[in-house]
Amino acid sequence: MTAVTIDRVEKRFGAVRAVAGVTLEIREGEFFTLLGPSGCGKTTLLRTVAGFADLDGGEIRFGKRRIDTLPPHRRNTGMVFQNYAIFPNLTVAGNVAYGLKARSTPAAATAERVAAALRLVHLEGYDGRWPHQLSGGQLQRVAIARALVIEPEVLLLDEPLSNLDAKLRVEMRGEIRELQQKLGITALYVTHDQEEALAISDRIAVMRGGALEQVGPPAEIYARPATPFVAEFMGTTNLMAGKVAEVLGGRIRIAARGIAVEAQAQGHAVGAAVIASLRPETLRLLRSGEAPPSGWARIEATVARVELLGALTRVELRAAGGTPLKLAMLDLPPEAVAPGKAVALAYDPARVAVFAAP
Amino acid sequence: MTLLKPRSSFPLAVAAIAFLFLGLFLLYPVFTIFKAGFLDPAGNFTLVNYVQILSRSFYQASLGNSLEIGALATLTTTALGVPLAFCLARLPVPGKALILVLAALPLVLPSFVGAYALVLMFGRAGVVTRFLRDLGIPFGSIYGTPGLVAVYTVTLYPYVVLPTLAAFKAVDVSIEEAGQNLGASRWRVFRTVILPVVIPSVLSGALLVFMETLENFGVPFVLAEDKPILAVEAYKLFVGEVSANPASAGVLALVLVLCTTTALLIQRHYLARRRYATGARAAPPELRASRPWRILATLYSWGLVLAALVPFFGVLAISFLEYRGPVLQGNLSLGNFADLMHRSTRPLENTVLLATAAAIGAAALGVPIGYVLTRFRSGIAHVLDVVAMMPFAVAGTVLGIGLVISYNSGWVILTGGPIIMVLAYMVRKLPFNVRASSAILHQLDPSLEEASINLGVSPARTFFKLTVPLMLGGIVGGMVLTWVTVASELSSTVILYSGPWATMTVVMFEALEGTGAGIAAAAAAVLILATAVPLLLVYRLLRRYELAVM
Repeated sequence: MTAVTIDRVEKRFGAVRAVAGVTLEIREGEFFTLLGPSGCGKTTLLRTVAGFADLDGGEIRFGKRRIDTLPPHRRNTGMVFQNYAIFPNLTVAGNVAYGLKARSTPAAATAERVAAALRLVHLEGYDGRWPHQLSGGQLQRVAIARALVIEPEVLLLDEPLSNLDAKLRVEMRGEIRELQQKLGITALYVTHDQEEALAISDRIAVMRGGALEQVGPPAEIYARPATPFVAEFMGTTNLMAGKVAEVLGGRIRIAARGIAVEAQAQGHAVGAAVIASLRPETLRLLRSGEAPPSGWARIEATVARVELLGALTRVELRAAGGTPLKLAMLDLPPEAVAPGKAVALAYDPARVAVFAAP
Repeated sequence: MTLLKPRSSFPLAVAAIAFLFLGLFLLYPVFTIFKAGFLDPAGNFTLVNYVQILSRSFYQASLGNSLEIGALATLTTTALGVPLAFCLARLPVPGKALILVLAALPLVLPSFVGAYALVLMFGRAGVVTRFLRDLGIPFGSIYGTPGLVAVYTVTLYPYVVLPTLAAFKAVDVSIEEAGQNLGASRWRVFRTVILPVVIPSVLSGALLVFMETLENFGVPFVLAEDKPILAVEAYKLFVGEVSANPASAGVLALVLVLCTTTALLIQRHYLARRRYATGARAAPPELRASRPWRILATLYSWGLVLAALVPFFGVLAISFLEYRGPVLQGNLSLGNFADLMHRSTRPLENTVLLATAAAIGAAALGVPIGYVLTRFRSGIAHVLDVVAMMPFAVAGTVLGIGLVISYNSGWVILTGGPIIMVLAYMVRKLPFNVRASSAILHQLDPSLEEASINLGVSPARTFFKLTVPLMLGGIVGGMVLTWVTVASELSSTVILYSGPWATMTVVMFEALEGTGAGIAAAAAAVLILATAVPLLLVYRLLRRYELAVM
């Protein structure tokens, strides 16, 4: 188990700052995810840890040991590549044994450890198979076994699931998380899929333009985004720009394009320009005549469109002033919810995130 | 994603070796030859040589002829090659796989043999000429421009066909469908979408044809007769009928290098930016063609590839006929081969030995350079890229003369031995080896190497343990192609060989001037078989190379 310190790391490609002075502490045994849209610098940051990208500034340490001065083959990281990078000229066992041979592990120990690693990823009996005989999911398992068998200090995963189909992706991410927990290994994971990041991580760093936007546990990142960018990137949300109309203790009232939004927030003065974020699933549909729970706020709106997704139903609405609102609910909508119908909604102001407008 | 390894000394080492090698055996000799052009017999700087040579209408004509013949050959190869490429890419022509093999063959068969075959068949005393004459049909002369253009056309048209075929196949069918869907007719789509996408490839192939004609020595030597041609005149000035004249040869060499360099620069800088990537997932389907069109396409495709091989089949056939002195008899005989082998088997052994040494040497040098070019995007890689392509711009004759002037005295004397020949071949074949290996590497995902390094194997060991084995099929294919082209090399061989190290091409070259037409035919036949057999044996390995040649 190793803690990883990324200290003011800088990486430029020409004039572009791919990683712009990032500082991060990844704890021992933590599953840490770098999340962001393509081009945000997450893969580059991972590659600086692996040693495939030179630093233009800063340091990287494993524990107290500085490693960014080491060549990549001396860093003892286990990397799982996006396209698996399974050596096509070696069998499954040959692939898994590759790193052990590089470390001059005795043959008997190598055989034992290869077998154990294959057992770990549920590939017993596949030793002699060739890569071209395996499915995508199996290749993925070989890649993981190959990275784990060398007992790396840190496991690096570069979008390892992006080449798998949706069902397998969900299955494999569960397995990767389980393995990481079982071995207690520190893992640095890169993805652009926010659902994957939420499902698998102890902590997430959301990146944008080479810099960190927010670092925190999944629940915090989702529910209390630090910026409108994070709010939108982590899932569908209603962003509403407006001005603070009133401050009442821990609560503020925001006047936004024809509707008033209430939020539990501190530090916003009357008249300040702000953006409020309200997740669709925090909006609740009130049955006719039903009163909102105490402390909740209420919005009147008209149904514009209903989209049935099976377990989930998405409803698009127009509030006063034409402000579009998105609402998500489990299960099927009541019959009263049809395009053109007027409905009443309620939400808990504590679930509204408020940011100072840029 | 490129592989950037911190503080790896591997690319530096490769670059250092490459620069040293090319510096010693390409740049320095070429520099010496240019310098010779600026020196008077006493060793002082002078422009007299330039004034003398360039003011003579004979040498002005040699430049004009070279350019004119090059331009004509470029036009004919393009005019014949583009329709063939289209037929092979899009029309139902039977036996396409075989046509492709046959169409690629002229690239590796010695063009000099093609020229010689033409003389044996259609020359003044040629088989066909005499046959026609006996029938009372007059036959024009094939010497001079018509013969040269004809030989260049049949030996160089694959340079246009192969990249154009690839370009036609790379046009995604959805682009065509989109055009038609928007209301354009088939012909309009072809004219407005497909052709513009294909033209850069056509032009790059055509420029290659142009360069090859400029630097070719054997074909004009056989066929030009009194017509002065730059590459031949440089050779004649250097060898000298009365006395050798390296200074004047240096002047013509500079002119030749300037022409080829210009063509190369146009190819690299103008066309490189005009390649359209269309990202075809699969080759576009064959077009539905009416019966007459199908027949026409079939006749055209088969007709062209077979006609282009006629000189080679012809020389094979002639080699089995009996010669008495220069006079051809009608009967079959193995006498030519007996005469050839009776004289000495040494040239054949030399050819095999030198070509093998050159193939190994060029691969040993070219593969690491290709690797560094493809995998490292540093400043050194860019410089290396340019330097490694420079042999392209230096005609074999020029390189040969430069090597002789540089290494026939002083500290290192290489002239007269086999080493200087192998070095010249390695220099000349380096660009091909570099391009071929970087073409294979482009198909190898760099993350494989990263995975190996990540697992604890150093970059240099990863290259030898993982990359080389993965590239092996391709490397062997490249070596075979190098082998066959070296075996039929004439332009630098003819300057660098010494008595005991004569090769098969030299035997043919010498037989041309004497009376050994039969021996020359047998030598040509041996050479054709020696190059065609290994090619066909490793054909599967080679398929991916046809395009790397470009």
